[in-house]
Amino acid sequence: MSGPRLDQVALTVVDNYLTSCCRDMGVTMMTTAYSPIFNESLDFSCVIFGPSGDLLAQAEFCPSQIGTIKFTVDWTIEELGLDAFEEGDVVLHNDPYRGSGHVPEHMLLKPVFWEGELIAFVANVAHMSEVGAKTPGGLSGDATEIYQEGLLLPPVKIKRRGEDVDDVWRIILSNHRTPRVTLGDFRAMMGSLDLAERRIHTLVADYGLEFFRAASAELMAIAERRMRAEIESIPDGTYTFTDAIEDDGISEGSYPMVLTLTIDQGSVIADFTGSAPQAVGPVNAIYAVTASAVYNAFLHLTDPTIPRNEGCYRPFTIIAPPGTIVNCAFPAPVAGGNTETSPRITDMIFGALQEAIPDRVAASCGGTSSPFLFGGIDPRTDEPYAHFHFEGVGWGGRRGLDGNNMVVTINGNCRNTPVEVFETRYPAFRIESYRLVTDSGGPGEFRGGLGGERIFTVTVPEVTVSALLNRMKTEPWGVLGGGEGAVGGLWVRRSGAGEWRTFVEEFGTMSPSKFSGVTLHAGDQVKILMPGGGGYGDPLARDRELVRRDVGEGFVSEGAARAVYGLTGELG
Amino acid sequence: MGLVIGIDTGGTFTDLVAFDPATGRIDSLKTSSMPSNPGQAIVNALSEGGIAGGEIATFTHGTTVGTNALIERTGCKVAFLTTRGFEDTPFIQRINRKVLYDLRWQKPAPLVSSRRLCLGIDERMGADGEELRPVDADEVRALCRELRQAGVEAVAVCLLFSYVSTEHEELVKSILAEELPELPVSVSHEVAPIWREYERASTTIADAYLRPLLGRYVTSLSQALRDVGMLREWTIMKSNGGAMLASAASESPVQTVMSGPAGGMTATEHVARALGEPNVLTLDMGGTSADVGILVDGRQRHTTEYEIEWGLPAAVPLIDIKSIGAGGGSVAWVDAGGFLRVGPRSAGAEPGPICYGRGGTEVTVTDANLLLGRLDPGYFLAGRMQLQSTLLDEPFARLAGRVSMEPVELAASVLEIANENMASAIKMVSLERGHDPRRFSLLAFGGAGPLHAASVARVLGIPRVIVPRFPGVFSALGLLLADIRVDKVWTQAFRSNDVDAALVNRQFDRITERAIDELRQEGYQGEPEIRRAINMRYFGQNYEHEVEIAGGVLDDDGLADALRRFDALHAERYGYAIEGEVVELVSFKVTAIGRRPALDLAYRDEPAGSPPVTRPVYFRGTGFMDATVVHRSSLAIGETIAGPALVEEAGSTTLVEPGMTVELHEQGALVIETGASA
Repeated sequence: MSGPRLDQVALTVVDNYLTSCCRDMGVTMMTTAYSPIFNESLDFSCVIFGPSGDLLAQAEFCPSQIGTIKFTVDWTIEELGLDAFEEGDVVLHNDPYRGSGHVPEHMLLKPVFWEGELIAFVANVAHMSEVGAKTPGGLSGDATEIYQEGLLLPPVKIKRRGEDVDDVWRIILSNHRTPRVTLGDFRAMMGSLDLAERRIHTLVADYGLEFFRAASAELMAIAERRMRAEIESIPDGTYTFTDAIEDDGISEGSYPMVLTLTIDQGSVIADFTGSAPQAVGPVNAIYAVTASAVYNAFLHLTDPTIPRNEGCYRPFTIIAPPGTIVNCAFPAPVAGGNTETSPRITDMIFGALQEAIPDRVAASCGGTSSPFLFGGIDPRTDEPYAHFHFEGVGWGGRRGLDGNNMVVTINGNCRNTPVEVFETRYPAFRIESYRLVTDSGGPGEFRGGLGGERIFTVTVPEVTVSALLNRMKTEPWGVLGGGEGAVGGLWVRRSGAGEWRTFVEEFGTMSPSKFSGVTLHAGDQVKILMPGGGGYGDPLARDRELVRRDVGEGFVSEGAARAVYGLTGELG
Repeated sequence: MGLVIGIDTGGTFTDLVAFDPATGRIDSLKTSSMPSNPGQAIVNALSEGGIAGGEIATFTHGTTVGTNALIERTGCKVAFLTTRGFEDTPFIQRINRKVLYDLRWQKPAPLVSSRRLCLGIDERMGADGEELRPVDADEVRALCRELRQAGVEAVAVCLLFSYVSTEHEELVKSILAEELPELPVSVSHEVAPIWREYERASTTIADAYLRPLLGRYVTSLSQALRDVGMLREWTIMKSNGGAMLASAASESPVQTVMSGPAGGMTATEHVARALGEPNVLTLDMGGTSADVGILVDGRQRHTTEYEIEWGLPAAVPLIDIKSIGAGGGSVAWVDAGGFLRVGPRSAGAEPGPICYGRGGTEVTVTDANLLLGRLDPGYFLAGRMQLQSTLLDEPFARLAGRVSMEPVELAASVLEIANENMASAIKMVSLERGHDPRRFSLLAFGGAGPLHAASVARVLGIPRVIVPRFPGVFSALGLLLADIRVDKVWTQAFRSNDVDAALVNRQFDRITERAIDELRQEGYQGEPEIRRAINMRYFGQNYEHEVEIAGGVLDDDGLADALRRFDALHAERYGYAIEGEVVELVSFKVTAIGRRPALDLAYRDEPAGSPPVTRPVYFRGTGFMDATVVHRSSLAIGETIAGPALVEEAGSTTLVEPGMTVELHEQGALVIETGASA
């Protein structure tokens, strides 16, 4: 058979093949990993790169990880040099000051060779549930240095020519509180890289190396062309928006983020000059996280059928002054930059463009992952455990559509952990309820989605908890006259007590939503409230039938229907 | 001895296959489906086939009544009862989203139509099945009054941890039966005894949602059959490839979601055995979709992963079949980037492809086949439908212009993309599970499967394509062959270093007994075949793999053997095993199979029919070439024809590409050698 032609049919085939390969890496991760954060929550991303670090393909994983891993891979290649890679190597890397998103996010990178030549990289990045930080699960809400956020690993080989590098493994496993789970998760990651390597070999065997290279280059050119065409459909101009991170776990202060967005003939400049100096606490974003959040917004605003590769990122310039909350300097802590600051930056782009492209934007989503960390010793097995628990939020209203209720915030695409899995794996808590919250969606012609509430009861003598939530003080905003969604937050009720109190009131933490290492005891209860989404358009313009339906369904209370939506007469 | 009948109702056609054990004769026919009254189409099929009810010995039915009601949301008003505090489970779901970068995406709506129909019971079981709060019977009775007032038509009950301890669900079920005896109730530990409350709830709700509908369907079809003199009990194909009594199916309708495709896989198993082909991939391509399956060592693969739509699981045992939107009616379109795409949307039966002449204007796969000479416009459905080639010119020219191609080139590209899509689906069921498709044969059926199989096989490097007899009604043929099959599961997690083998064996015996009982209730009298298996995972993993227990009893040797097999399975699937790691034994499964008497389907036909002719057919690279066109009935056993060729028959057309050969096998199957080496 003669070599395949590089026509659009062949390009579609290659794009689909690489995308489904990424998807299948994910299935391998899900089915073989050990921690619920991997196998239930799917807090990982699997991607394929060209030999010089260009992103070739991704699938339905976490947008913040996908945008950031580009930088992680670039840094790795630059630090090690291309010559350092040999067939069978696997490189591990998680250092945020070398391009990783935050410390829990571990990247594994494997070079793919064909007849002795480096032709691609396969990689995954995944949020490990235990990283040897100052408190179990990392994401310590009151960390003041990156060193408190877990074991830092520069790009190091954990496999060399197919053999485990035992020394490195031993260092990692003696620093994590749950080494058995860490090892199980790393094995799943490596299994998924092996699968992708085999799949790329199959592709190149079928189509030839030259074809693979040409198709990769062409797919990136197509993606760039289409992305620019989509951006050209946004009116040229300069748009601004301001939002703020409410506190940093260390002090009361608020941290404004200022965006000046320039759309100019198919190019975008996102300039964050004027944003607050970096925080002492862990709400800082590194540059890669900020850039990733901007990409994420524009990928959400453009045609979902554009091949999702490096070409999509070429039209963007991101300016983030060093030493600010959107581009912090070493050794500031960064855990919440990736989970909390990231979605807020993404939403700011929508806010800035609400007048320019009202058909395409949404109001703010709840904008927090509600990170709630805990750990201890499992009394059933005497084995240590640690968990990064997170929650969904309401999403913002859109023209013609209400926001979705309870979906994970826009920087991720994770699943919740089923109650039955949670209680089987973690003896520390029983979950009392998990439900939607009436009136939490921002009022609007198109209402914001509802947030939720979860109540836990401690069932072991003691458990250590930490938190890094946001949107406990400032509401998710609406657009074009839409109202604000309800705030979220965290409360505690001590065993036998009647009232819910904040952690500040009960334990004297600096922040009600960001702290670490608090000890709870049997019978104590914790309540996590998840914010709703912002509303779109004037609530008085909402279809009266929909307002009545919302009351009927308990999405909106009768009081709010009358007071906010101006409903009069019978409810029907 | 009477006739053995299988009838498969599809979206477009209702297919009938009748086997006469006395003569070995097989008859088949296709008649139009009647979505508004599917039972009538069945009666019509019998009457068209000249079959009187009294002649029928056994009747097995493959139905899409349940599947369609799920897709079209025409099930009943269902209430959801759960542990208090978790009433919103069907609405919260798993909080992820289907499409990554799409602000317009909408979360799927649950089948329970209102939050007000989701009611909590103040009870609670713990993770180990310990009772934390008992059920208050009075509270449940009060809820029953609410349900009656709300006018619900069925109830789904899913309490937390009911897969560990069934006690509370059983109690709630008995109270519902007392208070609301007329209401169908689906209970999660019976419908789907699996962990993960959302997946179990979604499956249970789907079951309840279908109860009244399937009940009415079975009642009315039974009556219609009685009216034509068919007085016997009849069976419905389940998604797991086994048949069950129609009356039982109406009480667990979610078991029928893959009823039709399961027939195709059952027939595949039979044909593969007859041909001595242990490793077979299947391509069942119809009007709206293509189903792809796999047979390894002669055995079907089973799974519980099925979604009504993205995010709405119905986790019942089913044959592992991957469905994609690639059928004869799949529409070709150009995306915003100027890329040509095919499917998943279908022109369906109405208006159908352009060439049906029913007002269709969008280019479909069938139209492309016609334009390239692969279909005979005068012999579609054996001449019962005249295809209209002249209607194709304008729409093809228009679409071709948008992608800067000639119309024939466009048609070839449409087929190529559809074939690639099917090849990808085949990779998913083979490569992904560690099976190299080049070591398999491809068995093609469904109206359009034989027309595409040779090309799909070429893409995948598959050396041999098999087109069985009756490819157009193959799923209906499978219904004749279906055994009665019951799966029972007991869930309790053990670690491999601490297994209570005595308890496990007692439970195995208990559920085996229940499975055999059910087999008896479903009318099976013979000696059942029993398979026992354990779902296992490394301690920490959350997804399991089924490992069969060789001797059926779990003693020290049996356990050691099972652990070894789990390691081997894990290595085969994922490239590594963790030897010596603690393994969790999560659930225990018994499959009881009641074998139907084997049917002798030996091929006895003598060649008859017209001599071959030639017709120009387009192939990429060579353009139009003269292809040999022959009717299947005119082929003699052992006769070989070189491609390019088309073998036509009533329900289907088989394409043989240039460079390939086709031979009529002694069992009556067409065997194409593609020239790829295994």
